[in-house]
Amino acid sequence: MKALMLVALLACVGTSASYAPGDADSDVEAKVVAMQHMWGQAYVSKDPKALERILDDAFVNVDSDGILQTKAEAVAEVRTSTAAQFLTESMVVHLHGNAAIVTGVFEIKGVDRGKPYAQRERFVDTWLYKNGQWVSIAGLVTRVGQ
Amino acid sequence: MRTIRLLLVLVCATSLSGSAQEASESDAAKAVRVLEGERVKAQSRNDNHALDLIFDNALVYIEYGKLVTKGDYLSRIKSAKPQQQQIAPGAMTVRTVENTAIVVGTYRETYVKDGKSSSKRWRFVDTWVKKQGSWLLVAAAAVPLSK
Repeated sequence: MKALMLVALLACVGTSASYAPGDADSDVEAKVVAMQHMWGQAYVSKDPKALERILDDAFVNVDSDGILQTKAEAVAEVRTSTAAQFLTESMVVHLHGNAAIVTGVFEIKGVDRGKPYAQRERFVDTWLYKNGQWVSIAGLVTRVGQ
Repeated sequence: MRTIRLLLVLVCATSLSGSAQEASESDAAKAVRVLEGERVKAQSRNDNHALDLIFDNALVYIEYGKLVTKGDYLSRIKSAKPQQQQIAPGAMTVRTVENTAIVVGTYRETYVKDGKSSSKRWRFVDTWVKKQGSWLLVAAAAVPLSK
């Protein structure tokens, strides 16, 4: 059932990820926020294909330990994800022409090697409208209050 | 004679590698790199006016896991004691796509706390957007390096 819901979400966001230049800011913000949620859900459903569509080929991320991560590494991380729950909150989108900055906080819960864990981290992601769709080109994650 | 030849080869190799690096970076990337340097200088001098020009009004800044606005950041810089912190930039890469630039790099922050000098290395991601002909910093975030 969860897989079906994710497929429906993917299909929905997939068709609406593109935007016409005349789109209202609120429409664009909603699309980008939907893609952020999809990004998080990819960790729960271990769905690398979703991430491949969301991330630009030259995507780069800095994790909360300061380690650099490429798109290939991010996709590989999703494949081996131990996340059971991924909640995103307090998202704010700032639009700058064909670029968007999204800030927010996510909480990820799961079980790793038999031990339950819960992480709460703040993120900032940069999105770009490129070749007719929004893709994330950079991100940074930091522990809340780090 | 051998020493002179070796020196000549070294000089040529150094200048060639320098020009190749310059040629591979676009004018936009060079402009953003210069602005990153200006920002560090302005921050070291607590120069609010310069930072005000560099920062977009909608700047989002994440440091120590906290989200601060342009206003919050400028207030902090204004109240900071001169030379309380020093920033030494490390390596950085600049990637530009149309009117957006992503800068990823490291820097070392040296600060004095309770009379003791300490330092910490950070990795940062900055996003610049070109608006009306000028590059403005729209997002900046840094994470302390654990190793």
